[in-house]
This record gives sequence, structure tokens and C-alpha cells, in this order.
Amino acid sequence: MPIHEKALIRPENLRQHEHLVVDGIDVSGHWSTFIQSRVVTDYNEAMEEEIAALPGGELIHRCWQCGSCTNACTVNAINPDFNPRFWIYLVRLGMEAELLRDKDIIWQCVSCNKCTTICPRDVNPEGVMKALSHWLELKGHTPKSPSMIFDEVFADQVIKTGKIEEGRTIQRFFKRTGQALKQDWLIEMVRGMLRHLPIGLLMRMGLGTLRAPRTRRWARARAAIEEYVDEQRAEQHRALGLDDIIEAARRDAAGTPHA
Amino acid sequence: MKQPILIVGGGPAGLAAAHALARVGQQSILVDKADKLGGAPILSGYAKLVPSGEWAKDAIGGMVQRVAQDKQLVDVHTGTTVRSFSGAPGDFSAELSNGSAVRAGAAILATGFTHFDSLNKPEWGFGTFPDVVTTTQVEQMISSGKGVRCPSDGRKPQRVAILLCVGSRDRQIGREWCSKICCTVSANLAMEIREELPECHVYIYYMDIRTFGLYETKYYWRSQEEFKIKYIKSRIAEVTSDGNKLIVKGEDTLVKRPVTIPFDLVVHAIGMDPNVDNKAIGATFGVALEPHGFLARGDTYGNMAETSRPGVFVAGAATGPESIDDSIGQGHAAAMTALSIVAPSRASA
Repeated sequence: MPIHEKALIRPENLRQHEHLVVDGIDVSGHWSTFIQSRVVTDYNEAMEEEIAALPGGELIHRCWQCGSCTNACTVNAINPDFNPRFWIYLVRLGMEAELLRDKDIIWQCVSCNKCTTICPRDVNPEGVMKALSHWLELKGHTPKSPSMIFDEVFADQVIKTGKIEEGRTIQRFFKRTGQALKQDWLIEMVRGMLRHLPIGLLMRMGLGTLRAPRTRRWARARAAIEEYVDEQRAEQHRALGLDDIIEAARRDAAGTPHA
Repeated sequence: MKQPILIVGGGPAGLAAAHALARVGQQSILVDKADKLGGAPILSGYAKLVPSGEWAKDAIGGMVQRVAQDKQLVDVHTGTTVRSFSGAPGDFSAELSNGSAVRAGAAILATGFTHFDSLNKPEWGFGTFPDVVTTTQVEQMISSGKGVRCPSDGRKPQRVAILLCVGSRDRQIGREWCSKICCTVSANLAMEIREELPECHVYIYYMDIRTFGLYETKYYWRSQEEFKIKYIKSRIAEVTSDGNKLIVKGEDTLVKRPVTIPFDLVVHAIGMDPNVDNKAIGATFGVALEPHGFLARGDTYGNMAETSRPGVFVAGAATGPESIDDSIGQGHAAAMTALSIVAPSRASA
């Protein structure tokens, strides 16, 4: 039988042989192309719940695979392999290995939210994309993305001081992502600010960068926010089974055998 | 003397109820806001009906004639609405917009639905491009005998796309219901188009196909096997134009591959909205609406056709998306239940 949709078959599963005789029948050459049967045995049945436990992924269960998200997608128009509809399908079935093949493009979502607006089921596909990238990072499949690091630096500062001070944010961000502080665009921007901003404002900004302003009586709010963030983090770790992984790693490091 | 039964709405359900009552010698008053009877199939000019294949003007027109022949027993008021309604089962009184006051033992609301207005789904091009039309418009093209043509220049389309679930199953625009008949109607229209224009390719873009019950053979399979209609599992994002043809971009989700196809005509398979007058109808007759805005049905398994108000019954698409034949069945059921109020059995009398 001819293979109509060769694109649906992984190239490594297409087999043909220069010289092959099976039970006395010559099956050589491309007239006898075989498809290696694919048996999926490693379903992660918890995967949908894992994604649903992360911010943005909560409504993934509503999807009915109409494809509106993919058809509306800004990134898909440039790269057809960027396919939110397909990934939602894989997550709901628990086909983790299949999803991991695309781990290096999932983060490319530009959050334009066209999918969110068009989705007839209110799945919030943009949120799901965010949850997916987050999931890949938490599970250690991809390194932390610069945007995730930026979010962390930003949130840390707000939680600690109750304020956001851009100079410090950018310093910390550059430090954590291993970037030089002196960047052409930044220098240009600072020059522009020096030229155009009023002196008073510039002085206040400079002071801010030097001595990290805080919101007054912030301690109680900070404690409450930190408690909430810890709870959320613990909940996510539990849902993703990360505690077990961390525990196992610790045991490995200590040299004790697994239970 | 027995009180007549007030029937509001002269579509398939109302006509069926009036005729059923006339056959057992029961008087009824049939009120319709339109200037003629027949409801959506006649007023919107439907072509051939599902599943009989009869022309709407013959099938439903026949029901209208039948009621006209029952004129001794059916008092018809067209171009009329009900202004007020009060009383109790067995003795209601109503004031009509034509000034007459009537008394009735029971009432049947057969007030039907409103077609979804595709302007509420602007990304699919209706109102922007003249060659984006609705299933109702295609019905009219066929029933008028003019044939399926592109409205922009009257040419015969070479490629037609039918988009399913326009105004149905769409949470974004608050329409969380399946309109039930659009899949079957679209398959039927697709076959009609192929019959008239054998050179024209017809594509149906779908999320799920719900040609329910026995329609599977006659519409779902027949449209593919005999008429070579192409079904693409995809909900498209938007309809655009290259200045010449309409461009429909989708993803064939079954083979995970983008499909961008230029079309001459794009057809919205529009769903059934609650009748735009339902709030007023609910208030006038003191009956409750269900959460989607249709008239709420009472008991499902006991007395048929109940609303929240005793003595006031409901039939057809007033209660939710409904097919013509089921509406007719419900009209009969409502007539039977209403009759039990105005003409109690000898045993209980």
C-alpha cells in the first residue's frame, strides 16, 4: 500500500533495505518500504493535571481540538511546527516523550493572545503555553529562559521591598543571565535620559538605584505574599511529583540506595 | 362552552398544534407576529427540508393550508402579538395587539427561535466580504430557483466552504449550545450545491460532525461517498481576501498540516439563538427562561410541554434548538396536554 501521509511518520520509523529476503521473498528497495510500528508505552497519565496545576494551564481540560488556536497563531504562521492545538492534545493524552521533541520551540510563544480571543471553549491557550514552558523548566527539560529569570528577579524585588526599582532589576537580571552591564542600547538609553529628563527626577532615580527604597510597613504584606508564594510553589511541586525527584537526588548524593 | 386554546406562533409547532386540536373538534386561536403563517421555513425561504427532501413551501405550506381549511375551528390572527395575559388554567384572558380581547382555557407558546446574526462573529468575514453568506441565504438562492451564485458578481462559484458551528458551541460569544441541525442541513446544502454545480468543490470545516441518528447514512456518508464533499477537521481563525478570492486558513488537525484554500463563496452554518423576544414573552406570559435564554421546560417525563406556569405550554424551538419534525411532534404533544385542561375526561368530570 502506498504511504499517503509520509510526513506523519517519523523518518527513523521508515525502513527500507538494499538487500533483504524474508521467507524466500525479496523485499529489497524502496518498493518495499516498511513502517516500524510505534507502540507508546510510556504515557504520563498525570500530565494534564500537572499542566493544570501551573498558572495558565488550569482550563486545558476544556479543549475539544478544533484548532482555532493554531490557526490564529502568530508564531505558527512563521513556523508550522509551532502548534498549540497539537501540544494540548499530547498533554491531555499524556504523550510526554512526543511533547519533549518540541521542547526547544514551545517557549517561542509571543503571548499575542489571538488564540485566547478566538478559542470557543475559553481554554486560554496562551496560558497553557506559559504553563508548558514553566513545566519544561521545572522538570529540568529546558534551562530557565531569560524571561523566566527576569520574572523571578522582578517578583523577588517587589516581594522583598514592596517597590520596583528598574536600575537594580536590570543589574540583577544581567548578572544572573551572565550579560555585561555595559550594553550599547542601555548606554544609549541612559544618555537619552540624561539629556531629556528633569534634573530632580534623575537625582531621585540615581538615589533609588543606590539605596533601594522600601515601602513603609511592608513586613506584614511581605510575610503574607511569601506565605502564599510558598504554598503555591509547594502545591506545584507536589502536583509535578518534584518532591520525589528532589528527594531521590538527595539520597543519590548521600549514597543511600533507593527504597 | 369549552374555552378555546391560545396558540402563539404559526410555525411548524404552532401549526401542528392547531391542526391536532381542530381534528378533535377543539377551538383554537392562532396568533403570529408575522404577516403570514409558516414560521422560519416559510419566512426565511428554506429550500428542501431534512429529512424528507420536500420543498419547504410544499411541506410547511401544506400545513398552513390545512389550518386555513380548519377555519371553523382555528381563529387566525396574523401580524398580531399578545399584549397581556392573565388568569388561571381553564380561564385565561388575553389582550391582542389588534385590539381584540380573547379568553382561553390554556395557551401554547410555539414562538420559535431567531437565526444567529453572523455579524457577531466578525472575524469570519460576514458583512465585510459580499461573498460570505449564511446557510439561510443559500437556502434562499436554491428555493428561489436562481441557483447558488456569488452575490458580488453573480458568477457560479468553483469552490465553496461551509463553516460549521457559527453561533453555536462558542463560549466566546455566550452561545454554549449545539444548534443540533446545522451539520445535517449543511451536508444537505453541500449536496444540493454539487447537484446544481457538479464542477464546484465543496468543503465543510468542522469541529465535530453531529448528523445525529439516522442522518448518518443519508447525509454524513452519502455527502462524502456519492457527492465527494470534503470534510476538514478544523475551525478556521479568520476569513480574509486577496482582493479576488476569499482566503480561508486552517489547520487540518487530523494530519497536523496547515491548509490555506482560496474560495469563491464562504457559507456560515448559522445556529439557532433564543427568540429575540423571549424576555418579553417570558414577562407577558409569566413563564421562566432557562439559562441560555430559551423558554424553560417543566416536567420532562410526566406531562409533556409544561412551562413553569400551569396551563401554559411550550413546543418547538422556543425551548431550545429543534428540528422541524420534532417541533411538529412537540406541537401535537402540547395540544394533547392543553386539551386535558379545557376538556377533562368524563372520568374526572
